[in-house]
Amino acid sequence: MTSNDHAAAQGEALLRSYASAVEDAHADLTRMDRLAGDGDFGDNLRAGMRLVVRRLDAGAGTAALQTAADVFLDEVGGTSGPLFGLLFSELARAAAAQPDPTSAWREGLAAGLSAIQRVGEAEPGDRTLVDALAPAVDALAGGTLADAATAAVDGARATASLRARRGRASYVGDRGAGVMDPGAVAVAVLLLVAARELEPGAAGQLIGPDALTAG
Amino acid sequence: MSAPFHPDEDGALVASATAGFARAHARHVELVEDPLHLLARRRDPRRRVGLVSGGGSGHEPLHAGFLGVGMLDAVAPGQVFASPHNRQVYAASRAAAGPDGVVHVVKNYTGDRINFAIAAERLRLDGIEVRRVLVDDDVATDSEETATGRRGTAATVVVEKLLGAAADRGAGLEELAGLGQAVAAASRSLAVASRAQTAGAGGGPAFELAADELEYGVGIHGERAATTIPRPPRTELLRRMLDDLLAALPPSRDGDGGVLLVVNGLGGTTSLELYSLFDEVTALLGAAGAPVHGSLVGTYVAALDMAGFSLTLTRLEPGWSELWQAPADTPSLTRLPVDDPEVTP
Repeated sequence: MTSNDHAAAQGEALLRSYASAVEDAHADLTRMDRLAGDGDFGDNLRAGMRLVVRRLDAGAGTAALQTAADVFLDEVGGTSGPLFGLLFSELARAAAAQPDPTSAWREGLAAGLSAIQRVGEAEPGDRTLVDALAPAVDALAGGTLADAATAAVDGARATASLRARRGRASYVGDRGAGVMDPGAVAVAVLLLVAARELEPGAAGQLIGPDALTAG
Repeated sequence: MSAPFHPDEDGALVASATAGFARAHARHVELVEDPLHLLARRRDPRRRVGLVSGGGSGHEPLHAGFLGVGMLDAVAPGQVFASPHNRQVYAASRAAAGPDGVVHVVKNYTGDRINFAIAAERLRLDGIEVRRVLVDDDVATDSEETATGRRGTAATVVVEKLLGAAADRGAGLEELAGLGQAVAAASRSLAVASRAQTAGAGGGPAFELAADELEYGVGIHGERAATTIPRPPRTELLRRMLDDLLAALPPSRDGDGGVLLVVNGLGGTTSLELYSLFDEVTALLGAAGAPVHGSLVGTYVAALDMAGFSLTLTRLEPGWSELWQAPADTPSLTRLPVDDPEVTP
């Protein structure tokens, strides 16, 4: 197996694990989005990941992350879906250029955050997925994926006390208070899955992906 | 108000109207059905940058009516009052890109901003340079309290005309982006309505307005104004609108204070009324020291069938009048060359 084949297999395994985690989290993501958004976030994310899995089943495994990028950019509705597509795009680019998975995620996650912030014009503290992604990028700069996942989980939990200023949740003012932002939660779940898949030795110190949404 | 003549099938209106538009204007326009976008068939060979716009449907002839030489190269229409998907913008931009890249003309609405920006990221990954010109001319939404800023409305036509003329002279990417932003910054609009647009296929007005009331500062998607006012005599109404516009308009940097004027129907107002309004507005502007050097009168940026009109003023800078008068050949806006033998005696 070449290092490229190995990276492709890792990408496929990671996306299948994420799809499974999104199935488990769907009801909780929908509940969070109903309180502060229009309630379609869980549906859009699940539909996107189901389509990714169908394409992987059909043999798209050699470029798994690019497949996820294409699906989320082209096929998923709402605003958050295409933002995940940009993140997958940058992760795919970094994985193609960089054989070490932690290094690839370090580059891809940082580039994905930049692209998402250029598009969404959101800053940390605006109660968006940036609140999980930005601390993960910071933690990964000098650490491991497990560190990034921990930072993303903390960031997602902190959105429960933030008031939305961007995105559709901004129209309801304080109504979302006390509930986490579902986009931030979905990013944290992605990081938890990535740490487990790519750094198996560190998995023991992390919470399971379902512990975040069921809480 | 009666129910509109929509297709019986849900969601078929934009698809069939777009197909019909391309059929009716086959000399100017080519239709791509998936992802939905329209392309100009001809462009000036000097053009180095593709001009791309788009947005929700219901504002026709914006944007597809301005496809062609002297204006836009591609447009991405969304569903009624809904942003196009990023992949429509992406496909339209790839098809229209010039050797120097693409300029996106975007009206300031959150959905349009995000979908054009996602498309721009994808284009950059493909090595295509993109600059955005954001149009935000509506003084009714000029408040420091909101982070979303002023809405983009009828000044979009002015931006698209001036940018198209500059692009046909071979202007580069940065020059066009700078010009577009300067034109947008020098433009302000204000809209009033006496009757809301028809809501969906059901037939009723989207909001109620009494016969003696006006919605002052209405949006082009039927967004209600901050204030509903008792309907004033027409001259009083026009003076108030022009006072608000001139107060909001940035002072001229180098020009003589002259303006471009667009008297725009919102979909349910007759040409007869619009020309009558234009006649009086031009006189009022002349008296106010803002002579009208160029104009457009008609329904160019509609809000479905709303009864009402908007006034747009663009404070002219040197060179802009020439761009406004430059030739254009599109379904909804035509300018012959000024030395055309057919019009010169």
